[in-house]
Amino acid sequence: MTSAHKKARGMSDKTSEAILIFICAVVLLLVAYPLYYVVVASFSDPYEVYAGKTFLLPSGFTLEGYKSVFLNDGIVSGFLNSVKYTVIGTIFSVVMLYITAYPLAQKDLPGRKLISLFFLITMYFGGGLVPTYLVVKQTGLVGSMWSLFLPGGVGVGNMIIVRNYFQNSIPHDLLEASRIDGCTKFRTFIKVVIPLSMPILAVMVVFSMVAYWNDWFTALIYLGGQGSPLPLVMRNILIKSSATASQASTISGGYAELNKLTELLKFCSMIVAALPMLIVYPFVQKYFEKGFMAGAVKG
Amino acid sequence: MKRSTKQRACGLLAGGLLLALLPGCSGGLVSNVNNGAINPNTDQTEFDIMGGMSALSAGYEDHEVLNALQKSAGVSIHWETMSDSLAEQVNIRITGGQLPDAFMGVGFSNYDIARYGDDGTFLDLTPYLTPEIMPNLCAVLEAHPEIRAAITMEDGGIYGLPSGEQMTTAGIGAPMDEAFSIFSVPQYSMINKAWLDELNLPMPTSLDELHDVLKAFKDNDMSARYYGNAPGSTIPMTTGFDEWCWGQNIFYAGFGFTNWPNDVINDIHLTGDGKVEFVCTTDAYRDCITYFHDWYAEGLMDVEMFSQSDSQLIAKCQQGYVGVSTWWYIEELMGDYAKDYVFLPPLTGPKGTQYEGTCGVTIRPGTPISSGQLNITNKCQSPINLLKFFDQWYDGETVMQLQYGPIGVFFTGKDDKGMWLSISDEEARAKYGKSGGELRNVYEVFGPKLVLAEYYNEVFYMEPRAIERLTDLDESWMPYVKDTTFYPVDCVFTGMEMETIDWHKPDFESAVREQEGLWIKEGGPTDAEWEAYKQRLADKCGLNDLIQAYQDAYDRYAQTR
Repeated sequence: MTSAHKKARGMSDKTSEAILIFICAVVLLLVAYPLYYVVVASFSDPYEVYAGKTFLLPSGFTLEGYKSVFLNDGIVSGFLNSVKYTVIGTIFSVVMLYITAYPLAQKDLPGRKLISLFFLITMYFGGGLVPTYLVVKQTGLVGSMWSLFLPGGVGVGNMIIVRNYFQNSIPHDLLEASRIDGCTKFRTFIKVVIPLSMPILAVMVVFSMVAYWNDWFTALIYLGGQGSPLPLVMRNILIKSSATASQASTISGGYAELNKLTELLKFCSMIVAALPMLIVYPFVQKYFEKGFMAGAVKG
Repeated sequence: MKRSTKQRACGLLAGGLLLALLPGCSGGLVSNVNNGAINPNTDQTEFDIMGGMSALSAGYEDHEVLNALQKSAGVSIHWETMSDSLAEQVNIRITGGQLPDAFMGVGFSNYDIARYGDDGTFLDLTPYLTPEIMPNLCAVLEAHPEIRAAITMEDGGIYGLPSGEQMTTAGIGAPMDEAFSIFSVPQYSMINKAWLDELNLPMPTSLDELHDVLKAFKDNDMSARYYGNAPGSTIPMTTGFDEWCWGQNIFYAGFGFTNWPNDVINDIHLTGDGKVEFVCTTDAYRDCITYFHDWYAEGLMDVEMFSQSDSQLIAKCQQGYVGVSTWWYIEELMGDYAKDYVFLPPLTGPKGTQYEGTCGVTIRPGTPISSGQLNITNKCQSPINLLKFFDQWYDGETVMQLQYGPIGVFFTGKDDKGMWLSISDEEARAKYGKSGGELRNVYEVFGPKLVLAEYYNEVFYMEPRAIERLTDLDESWMPYVKDTTFYPVDCVFTGMEMETIDWHKPDFESAVREQEGLWIKEGGPTDAEWEAYKQRLADKCGLNDLIQAYQDAYDRYAQTR
């Protein structure tokens, strides 16, 4: 490479770099500002937010929203419940994924096509809420924590991704080699397959974790108000506040004032519910990048 | 001979069997006719009731009024109440056949009630409505045959106990038979009088005058000039679109109609001679939409009127940006700026058009008498016992406590007329740390509460805010109502009619709403568009079937009164 060439390239590099940085900055702003806005809004008078007065700093600074969230009795138990469901659910889901995906990745599994088809069908057809509820009810799971995990234990979409990863990214020869060296099938799975599939494992952990953390509907239907996870507690705080505004005000007035708190709570609960995930995310992110495209091609 | 003996024996036997069967038979026959004979069983005294409650309620287990009622009826009730996800849970229970003894405060629609009554899930209560079992309710139904008519389904069965709140102008002294519901005119329009005065403009009386006023508000940027807000912040007029108390519909009065959102079906109108029509297919409607597009195009109507929530509306109004809006109270919407606003009475049509001098505020049906607040299921062994408990609810003093709160908590004492007085807001805050409204929400019981108009004259006073609302209605808005006919909300529909309505109503309402919005935004319809729209309503949205269904139901209704 000649120096002239280098120089010329350097110039164009700089320009293209500048353009790239500019584009990235714009995209970053587009993505980050709404998030930042929610943070600011959670400290602001919601009517000023809606009137378009809030931009970079809170306007009409208030802590009322956070006060009502954290003074609620259910918030701590909701948080602990959520952590419990997320941890147990994630472990359960990932184990289930692995023990279904791995056999299906083996070409010598008898009836492999049929079993795959069986799984696939459930992606297209569901029983609907009421029939599913009846099944869960008849198995006696209603009210138990396991009703959150068992009915949707194997995420078929994720299972296919993991299966493809096993098929494409772990050489079959390696498995044969370990067998020749005297490994049992189980030991191969534990000692060879799992360590080699760390990237996809991380992705699955993150997927399940986020899904369990955000899930409130299953809890709403099956838990019957006992052991509510955090999003459900938040939802109840919000419902209570909006009911107070719409019904209480019929007698004593002040709908506008009470409604303000409801609007504020919407922002605050977003922050409170999202924060733990935001904190955990960076720690798993490095695996995430590696594994994200792994096994991305379905089929 | 031998044969004849045998025949005779047979005959005797058959006769004896028949006789033996008769007592049982009569019950069976009645059951076929009445869809349910009386079940004389009175063994069951413990009942499971599932239902709704206020989000602020702590549940009914320790509710002193309910417990006293249970004690006097000799029953004990296990409550399974929720404020949230009630509809899902109820559906799950009914579909799964896990019925409680009764559903309370669920609010089943007439469609559901007829369906569940027909398949036997809900008991027909007609045979139980006797002075022995339900003395209070029978007295009420005797005095108000219209309530009985409203809860009787097309098949003649009554599958639930009546509920409703008759908050009418009778509560502020109007004669009982000329009283109007508090919901008759939901939107009270208001205008910034201070801005009018600042610009030396008179109070507008017609739509074109209001147009000029709004233009003046905008051109002079009154929000900035008068309140010192940011330049360009003036919103001459902002409302929601077809919203309950904050819609634009009151301004349509200048074209001879006000198509309030309502509990029957939007845009329905009953003419004075009892003909059902939909205003959204009339020429006046077309002219109206065409006219208001100009306002929208000139920036006089808020561009966000189609998308904003009530919170956003309040936000704008409380910043002093707004010239004209609608709500039920000036104070609530305008906050600190409320003192500058006054009611803007309904306006007449634009001058120089055929609508000059037209001002047609129509009224909206009140809330219906419903029988979906207490429904006894086929699982209940002793309906008599349960109904005796609920009969106590049909008494002014009891229903008052179930609606607001117990005597001693919400009601503090009687005045010299023997009327109960409720706790004031200050007292409530001092004693319970809650506003009167919150206190009510803690104690309110959702269920078959029938708050009759006469209770407000005989038993307790109406809430001060309701009195204020009704006074405004009576003084400021009813004088503009010339045609007081409206489609009766208590019409009873046949199964077929209900099918038609259930099938078409959502499509119809959303098609009209969407088109109306588009025309206001983008310009009124051309002749071709107008014809195509009417064609679409007829072909796709069941316009004619709906008219037929509502007309037939109304004709039957009119006949019985």
